[in-house]
Amino acid sequence: MPFIKIDEKEFEVAKGITVLQAALANGIEIPHYCFHPVLEVVGSCRMCLVQVEGMPKLQASCNTSIGEVALDKKLDGKYDMVVNTQTDAVKQERKNILEFLLLNHPLDCPVCDQAGECYLQDYTFKYGNAHSRFKEEKRVRPSESLGSNIVINQDRCILCSRCVRFTREISGTNELFVQNRGYHSKVSILKDKPLENLMAGNVADICPVGALLNTDYIHKNRFWNLDTIPSVCQDCSAGCNVDVFSQRDEIFRLTPRENHDVNGYFMCDIGRYGFHRFEEIERVNQPLVRNGKSFDVIDWAEAIQKTADLIEQSNGKTAGIVSPFHTNESNFLLGLMINGMLGMLPAIQAEEITYPSGFRISADRSPNQRGMNNICGGLAEDLSSEIKTQAIRGLYILDDGVDRELDDAWKEILAKMDFLIVQSYAMTDLAKLAHIVLPGLAPYEREGTITNDQDRIQWLRPSLSIKAESKPDWEILMLVNNALNKKAENFTGLDDVIIKMGEQFPNYSGITLFKIATQGIALNGKKM
Amino acid sequence: MDLLGFIIILVKVLVVFAATMITVMGMIYAERRVSAFMQGRLGPNRVGPKGLLQPIADGIKFFMKEDLIPSGADKPIFILAPAILLIPALMTFAVIPFGSSITIFGREIALQVADVNVGILYILALTSIGVYGIVLAGWSSNSKYSLLGGLRSSAQLISYELAMGLAVVSIILLAGSLRLNDIIADQQGYFLSWNVFKQPLAFIIFLVAVYAETNRLPFDLTEAEQELVGGYHTEYSSLKFAMFFLAEYANMITAAALTVTLFFGGWDVPLLDESSLGLLGAILSVLSFILKMAFFLFLFIWVRWTFPRFRYDQLMRLGWKVLLPLALVNIFLTGGYLTLTAMK
Amino acid sequence: MATIIKSYEPTFWDKLYFPALLKGLMVTIKHFFRQKVTIQYPDERHIPPDGYRGLHRLNKYPDERIKCVACEMCAAACPSNCISIIPGPSPWDDGKERYPVRFDINLLRCIYCGFCEMACPEGAIELTEIYDFSNYSRDDLVIDKDGLLGVYELTKKQNYYTKKSHSPASLPFKTERT
Repeated sequence: MPFIKIDEKEFEVAKGITVLQAALANGIEIPHYCFHPVLEVVGSCRMCLVQVEGMPKLQASCNTSIGEVALDKKLDGKYDMVVNTQTDAVKQERKNILEFLLLNHPLDCPVCDQAGECYLQDYTFKYGNAHSRFKEEKRVRPSESLGSNIVINQDRCILCSRCVRFTREISGTNELFVQNRGYHSKVSILKDKPLENLMAGNVADICPVGALLNTDYIHKNRFWNLDTIPSVCQDCSAGCNVDVFSQRDEIFRLTPRENHDVNGYFMCDIGRYGFHRFEEIERVNQPLVRNGKSFDVIDWAEAIQKTADLIEQSNGKTAGIVSPFHTNESNFLLGLMINGMLGMLPAIQAEEITYPSGFRISADRSPNQRGMNNICGGLAEDLSSEIKTQAIRGLYILDDGVDRELDDAWKEILAKMDFLIVQSYAMTDLAKLAHIVLPGLAPYEREGTITNDQDRIQWLRPSLSIKAESKPDWEILMLVNNALNKKAENFTGLDDVIIKMGEQFPNYSGITLFKIATQGIALNGKKM
Repeated sequence: MDLLGFIIILVKVLVVFAATMITVMGMIYAERRVSAFMQGRLGPNRVGPKGLLQPIADGIKFFMKEDLIPSGADKPIFILAPAILLIPALMTFAVIPFGSSITIFGREIALQVADVNVGILYILALTSIGVYGIVLAGWSSNSKYSLLGGLRSSAQLISYELAMGLAVVSIILLAGSLRLNDIIADQQGYFLSWNVFKQPLAFIIFLVAVYAETNRLPFDLTEAEQELVGGYHTEYSSLKFAMFFLAEYANMITAAALTVTLFFGGWDVPLLDESSLGLLGAILSVLSFILKMAFFLFLFIWVRWTFPRFRYDQLMRLGWKVLLPLALVNIFLTGGYLTLTAMK
Repeated sequence: MATIIKSYEPTFWDKLYFPALLKGLMVTIKHFFRQKVTIQYPDERHIPPDGYRGLHRLNKYPDERIKCVACEMCAAACPSNCISIIPGPSPWDDGKERYPVRFDINLLRCIYCGFCEMACPEGAIELTEIYDFSNYSRDDLVIDKDGLLGVYELTKKQNYYTKKSHSPASLPFKTERT
């Protein structure tokens, strides 16, 4: 193990890693643009130059790997390498590099959406000159659309080529390249091959400056206005970790959150723009009860009591339909309440997409299929036929909130039911057939745990406030359960439910939200 | 006395009373405007032209106010007190000659309500009665502030009455009479025959004492609002308060008139024989009297908005240790001078 | 180190007091004749000096384009959080890209410090000399973009107040003042 010194810090590092990696891992900041942990090192930005003792010139730290030297050649008798990041030469070099990068930069931070999270801003502030000596007219180049919600502002680009390497190495689609040479270089696409892949949104995230922008977010808000909640994407079973940016109860964007056990640094565009689906939905705001062809509004106590009465009258002939879109807790509580036949509606499937880097979009486009299967023991294989054989008279449906095509067999079943209780946040086709609709929470409002298809349990955290009279889904189920069974346990919070869940399903024992934190826990100690 | 003489006196009483009242209103207005001007403000200027109707608005306000009598108050005395203060204040003016004489229908009418031959004594006596009004008001209100105000007032008035009386004595010595007309006659002639030039020390003592007597700043210890809320009239409201207000200004007018009479030749126009000019002379004399009085009334206001209030011990020290000895010395000097000139 | 301060020993002249009293009387009588500072407010209006910080305005270019680019620097600089902006793509093809779709200032929250003015990179927001913009409801004191532009129209050419103007032009609030 090489023993090195960076500034005044001494530490051992793995052989073969670069100086930049060693410094970053040990809390020493070296400014850099083109270096990205998962992308090939090119050393094009020259921002990370450091002074390595024994070297005549400054070295690009991202491209200088650390090795072991013979015992008699060790510096000061013990170091394999001594690096200085704060010498005058390094500082002057950083100033010079920044001055070059800013030569043709329009300095339009007020209108730039990257402002606040821009490395050009941060480094200029920290390491750069206060003034530019460039008195000539700046070069102005038009912005171009690269396709797939991405525009490039050529003036702001510093040609770090992170985006180009991303399309080569991560998405493997090779749309972007650096066109022309020298002063005329620019990131571009071929005319007939725009940037159109399901990972295109990531190029805007990895762009260290405001050159690549997402048209979905452009000119919508300022970075510092937004509240950031670490959560989990709910558009497929892969369960990518995301940061949800919201302000005043409105989601503005989703960005991938680093989690090496799940998604690495990236996410797909399906999830990235998925939150728009929930912006304009016909919400159910109050408990509703059927009155002929329309619904009457009733209050919660009455709605819970009515629901409990219906289930009780059915004499055990009520089936519960759990949902792969809901949290483990909600599904678990429905199982606890019905204590009989549980099933699910036909799953939503799509094509599984895998990228060369290993990034995966799961075929199962519901977030919690695995969790639902884990938590609800004995799900009926073929629910529609089971309902017929067991003469089920009522259904309690945890609605997905997704409108799906039901086949004739299902339509017949739904029509024949004595009662249909639907717990849903939206007026879906199913809810329209219901006798009682109980308003639950929409995605990004609900909290709980979900399990991804690699058996990793993750914490779904809410970004939006609860609307109107809606209640958390687990709370509704608990209330109905309490009305049915006076001895039923009264949960005061999600943690209570998780503990109870752990008692019944050993896989889930010992889990708390605190332990899950932002990175999740692999069930049974299994790593992905 | 014949009927005509009675009517003439009645008319004179009415004229003097009305003039006093109008002057009081003018004073209320002047006090507010002048104080505002001295403070760089404009003062009341919205009611009537230049705010001239403001005193009337104030008066109407007093009428409209609820008349409160504190439950612990001694009711008869509480009601009586303002009257005790106001009536002597108005009565004092009876003996003050406000002009020479006019001759109508062959009858010579002196411009004075009553020509009392002990005029000075009459005035001193009446102002002393006024103290009862203040003391009784303070006592009957059954309030600590009122009582303190009343006590301070009585002590102050008694202290300064001495100095004032002794200052007047030197004037009486010069004139050889207690009659105000004689005192004025003594000052007839040119400027320097006025008592203010003959008796400058007496004038200063008298002026200071008069400010104390009228409870004006810098001697308004009786109603020092920072300590005593309103002093003896803290508990008074509505018309009763208005009467105190009126009495204060009436006292000021009397005091100004007295100062003019004793020290500034009364209605005398310098270097002019009024009696030879007939009616014109009489008018000139009245105007002269009014002008002189107006100056002293203005001085009252001017002083009020210039000087800070004395502390109580300073007030007493000034009265007893400075003004009283000075007044006595002045009497001795005057007496000595008169004796010396008589001996020649 | 204790310093001994000698108390002032009054001279005989001082002890006479009357000269000092006369001096005092002279001071007040001087003020009696001086120009008065009171302004008869509704009849005449005080004209604030240059740099007075009153009601805000949003500036425009001569060709009616709004100078503001909705960068929210003013909102970020605002110590009382009274500015709320919703940005959007600019309707003009002038290379500025952004412009404010909504621009609301809560005049009740604002402390008129002028930080927004200083923070603005475009010189778009400015505080005018207008000081009497009281209103009857709190809602009406949240001035919107149209209002701010209206204030600009009122103040761009001349001072809002003229000497002895009895009623200046009415302000562009949502409801008319009575």
